Amino acid sequence: MPKILLVEDNELNRDMLTRRLQKHGFEVACALDGPSGVEMALSEAPDLILMDVALGAMDGWEATQLIKARASTAAIPVIALTAHALASDRDRSVEVGCADFDTKPIDLPRLLGKINACLNA
Amino acid sequence: MSTESASKFAWLDRLVDGFIPATIAAQREERQRARMFLISHLCGPFIGSVVPLTLFMLDPTPGYPTVVLAISIFAFWLFPPILRSIGRYNLLAFVSIQNLIFAILWSCYFYGGVSSPTLAWVLNIPLIAFMYLGQSRTLRLVFLAQFALNFLIFAAVHMFLPKVVDDTPLLALQGLGVISTLGAAGYCAMMALYYAKILASGVELETEMRGHLATAAELRSATAEAERASAAKAEFLARMSHELRTPLNAVIGYSQMLLEDAQDEGDQSGAADLERIHGAGHHLLRLVNEVLDLSKIEAGKMELTSEEVDVAALLTDIVDRHRNAAAANGDDLVLDLAPDLRTIVCDPKKTAQAISHIVDNAVKFTKDGRVVVSARRTLALEGEQIAVEVWDTGIGMAPETIPSLFENFNVAEDATSSKYGGTGLGLALSLRLCRLMGGDLSAESQLGVGSVFTIHLPTRPLARAAVADPDAWDEDLDRLQAA
Repeated sequence: MPKILLVEDNELNRDMLTRRLQKHGFEVACALDGPSGVEMALSEAPDLILMDVALGAMDGWEATQLIKARASTAAIPVIALTAHALASDRDRSVEVGCADFDTKPIDLPRLLGKINACLNA
Repeated sequence: MSTESASKFAWLDRLVDGFIPATIAAQREERQRARMFLISHLCGPFIGSVVPLTLFMLDPTPGYPTVVLAISIFAFWLFPPILRSIGRYNLLAFVSIQNLIFAILWSCYFYGGVSSPTLAWVLNIPLIAFMYLGQSRTLRLVFLAQFALNFLIFAAVHMFLPKVVDDTPLLALQGLGVISTLGAAGYCAMMALYYAKILASGVELETEMRGHLATAAELRSATAEAERASAAKAEFLARMSHELRTPLNAVIGYSQMLLEDAQDEGDQSGAADLERIHGAGHHLLRLVNEVLDLSKIEAGKMELTSEEVDVAALLTDIVDRHRNAAAANGDDLVLDLAPDLRTIVCDPKKTAQAISHIVDNAVKFTKDGRVVVSARRTLALEGEQIAVEVWDTGIGMAPETIPSLFENFNVAEDATSSKYGGTGLGLALSLRLCRLMGGDLSAESQLGVGSVFTIHLPTRPLARAAVADPDAWDEDLDRLQAA
């Protein structure tokens, strides 16, 4: 069962996405902010990370950069979740080393497609 | 200054202004001095010539002194055309003053010496000179030196040269005295009146200027106030949109989850209800996004990216995304692209948003019909453009409703949105996006026949127009103040 680490500070979004992913057969671990996301990337050793970029003090881009900078977690694919489908967000996700990015509100079939593509890559 | 007297002398003002060269006319202070100079030269010889005329009449043997005096006085009429052609105002002023001093001292010398009846004219010399020369300290000093030098020469001539035998009869001298003094007074009065006129018009101008400046200041503060209000409104809407989006995401997400559960369990009526909640959530989200976009455009805060975009690929993508909806409505969705579309530089997301809404509408309002999306390159006054036409055989609209079509929450769309769905903002937003990108959106329609929406977009973004540019405004104000 593939393990996904979801880094999301909004409780409703976190709960919703966790349950929907669990229904589709994923094991889900949750981090509530950037720093714990970076730590749990190491301790939980997930197969994939879903990173909300609009976090608090440390945003998702920064957390992703830290995860990619650490050798033991660098290989974990990260999918960024942004509020807008802006070209700047897309560029930024490439720049910090994300495997892909998706926009909120979550379109689950589309996100599942991206998740499976990353896991099978 | 009454309008009556102003109009009575309007011809004189026109005559005077006709002799002012352009270089001087541009400077207000120099222009006023040139006017004094010209009025004095145009009218002065009429008054001054009474002296030689009187001498010709009263003196039995007028001789060369009177002729020289007459020449000297009529020479003043040469100055206006010379000023007009060469424009060396200060030089001409000094030459003119010199001529005046010469004429006056000449007549004094030959007619009565230090007790000459023409002596009263001497008083006019500094008066005229200072009127001509304006505020410059140097010019004033030069004049005083000139004045003194002339008197020194006069005194030297008077003392060292043999005395002129003055054969003018006493009666003639007395008559000359009366006429000359009246002439000098008349000349002085004329200059004083003209000076008063210029002064009055200056005061009027200044009052008017102050009025304009006050209005300009008021306009500026009103503009600033409006800008602040607009910025505050945009910020409020942006915050509101964000605050609305978060709970909306939950509504959409949870209803989607429950919907999937209901479908899995085969609960038809529960699934239908949940689908309504889900649909309403999506509708609300679109409304929030469109309100945010509109408010951004209206506040001038909508930023456009510019990328090289392949037109055919962009349109194919848009049309493909509407294939399901078209199929559900039984519509034939056709894409008709000219071969030479190539690429354009635009904001791909905003362009897609504007076009997508039009295609969305066409599909929505057409049942079992045809929707054709065509595109070609055109040449307009503004340069090369891409024209995208979305043509449908849908319900159409009465032509008179078209003008209101692009207003926010327009009636035509409002009446149909309950039946067909839609926010009532989409067309308004599409139009504003097109205009923002330097293009336009127009519509033609016939009730029961169908509609054609045409989007024109520049192939290269135009230089941004300077709308309400605050710097241009300041320059205008500076020019007004300098006038």
